[in-house]
Amino acid sequence: MKMKQILPLLALGFASSLFSQAAFSADALPDRQQELPAVKKKADTDYLTPRSLDQVPDTEFGDMVRLGYSLFVNSQQMRGKYVGNDQNCVNCHMQAGIKANAAPLWAGFMAYPAYRKKNDKVNSYAERVQGCFTYSMNGKPPAYDSPEILALSAYSYWLAMSGLMDRHGLEGQPVPEISNAMLQSGGKDVNFPLPKEVADAFPLEERGKLKGRGYPKIANPKQEPSPERGLVVYNQYCSTCHSADGQGLKGSDGYAYIPPLWGAKAYNWGAGMHRINTAAYFIYENMPLGKSAQLTQQQAWDVAAYINSHERPQDPRYKGDLQKNRERYHNHQGYYGQKIGGKTLGEQAYPNGTVDHE
Amino acid sequence: MLKRLPSMILGTALVAPQVIMAQDVPPAAAVCVSCHGQSGLGQPNVAPMLAGLNTDYLNEQIDLFLSGKRKDPVMTAMSAPLADPAVRKQALDYFSNLSAPSIKDLEYRGDRLRFDTAAETLAYQGDWSRNIPACTSCHGASGMGVGHIPRLAGQQEYYLAKQLQDWQQGLRTGDPINMMGHVAGELSASEIKGLASYFSSLSGEVKK
Repeated sequence: MKMKQILPLLALGFASSLFSQAAFSADALPDRQQELPAVKKKADTDYLTPRSLDQVPDTEFGDMVRLGYSLFVNSQQMRGKYVGNDQNCVNCHMQAGIKANAAPLWAGFMAYPAYRKKNDKVNSYAERVQGCFTYSMNGKPPAYDSPEILALSAYSYWLAMSGLMDRHGLEGQPVPEISNAMLQSGGKDVNFPLPKEVADAFPLEERGKLKGRGYPKIANPKQEPSPERGLVVYNQYCSTCHSADGQGLKGSDGYAYIPPLWGAKAYNWGAGMHRINTAAYFIYENMPLGKSAQLTQQQAWDVAAYINSHERPQDPRYKGDLQKNRERYHNHQGYYGQKIGGKTLGEQAYPNGTVDHE
Repeated sequence: MLKRLPSMILGTALVAPQVIMAQDVPPAAAVCVSCHGQSGLGQPNVAPMLAGLNTDYLNEQIDLFLSGKRKDPVMTAMSAPLADPAVRKQALDYFSNLSAPSIKDLEYRGDRLRFDTAAETLAYQGDWSRNIPACTSCHGASGMGVGHIPRLAGQQEYYLAKQLQDWQQGLRTGDPINMMGHVAGELSASEIKGLASYFSSLSGEVKK
């Protein structure tokens, strides 16, 4: 039952060790290093590489993939219906969910179904995606068999399968069309259809371990993460785009292009990004967009603490008792239910599920 | 490309400085209009379009010319009188309130999977093998501009190319995270040409 927790740690630990060698050789490696293959590989040489999007076929199935891509990079087209805030999926999954170490869709798709502690059950890939709508998008998820969920699953599948086929000697062959049920379930389903060449080289137990999954873990901070120091980092590196007030930038079309990081239009208290460690890993690896600058690990921890020390929409699992909710669901590194600057975070939380339908 | 052609042709015809009727040009902007035009649409190979640009963006650029972080002999000199906040406000209000050409058929990321040119692919998908995000992820659909991230659509072609070259060569700085310095540094000369051509073509009619 703990598989879901252990596998990503393995993957993250490995990616982290690669990264540390490249940029922070002085820092101690996390102790997960011992569980990793002994062979040292150069960073980003063997991440799965999906085909370029111009190879999506002109078929009905290809149209589903295309819709999934469009919803992913322009999620605001679902605003008010399924998306309740100013987020687009691509804000946290760079390069349209393709970039390794930016929680790529291809790695996620092949890792489900899997147990999630968050809701204490085995989740299919479609349920996992629905969770993003509930938490990160502060909305209400499209139905399990809705065109949106199927399209996002089909896009993820196409990325994963095109990369796997190219890796295992099936270059140029079309990605097989599979049933909706398998798209919803995910690539780790025991009955998941894989071309023989791929199935032989990629057994079930390997599927959740694609390198580049999630965000690479970084070493624990030397100093306790500090919102005060984080503010200084924020003003130096983040505020140009995310604004001094954390509210991001909108176009005159009303669309949010740079996402808010706190407040009513940001991810809610149940989203993974409210965790200081998750945010620090994400920021260190992926921010600022395009990596024109590199924060130190301590700066990433501090700015993650600063961002997540602000009020945001309520955790959808909240039933009226903040401390009870904190004890039940927040045994991790975050400020929910804690007093920061004289205010208990979560007490003044903004509404969640801010969409027009029930 | 076919979809784009009509707007390109229209754009070329209409992005001419004489289209808008003369307005009352405030004294602070009197010098500016000699190059940028009363309409603020700029002129090919002379001056960029200022019409409708974001006030914060314009304000930041004057600061950068004055501090020397943006190097341009003409604009450094021309910015001197704008060191006075009252004068500057007058000029910025004038240009930011002028109508910019409309943008036909705003294109969002995800609208297309295939592109006719390398420049359009960069505009809507970027090239992450070089850590180049899609231009439109910050500059907005069709490069319409997002807050103080400037509009690219319908901007003078020579100017767009020159800015990318200036970022490349360190003549334009002042971005605390050097985002555009990094991106421009990764671009080839032909990519710069293609991007300038593409974004400058995305303008339609000037609204009255």
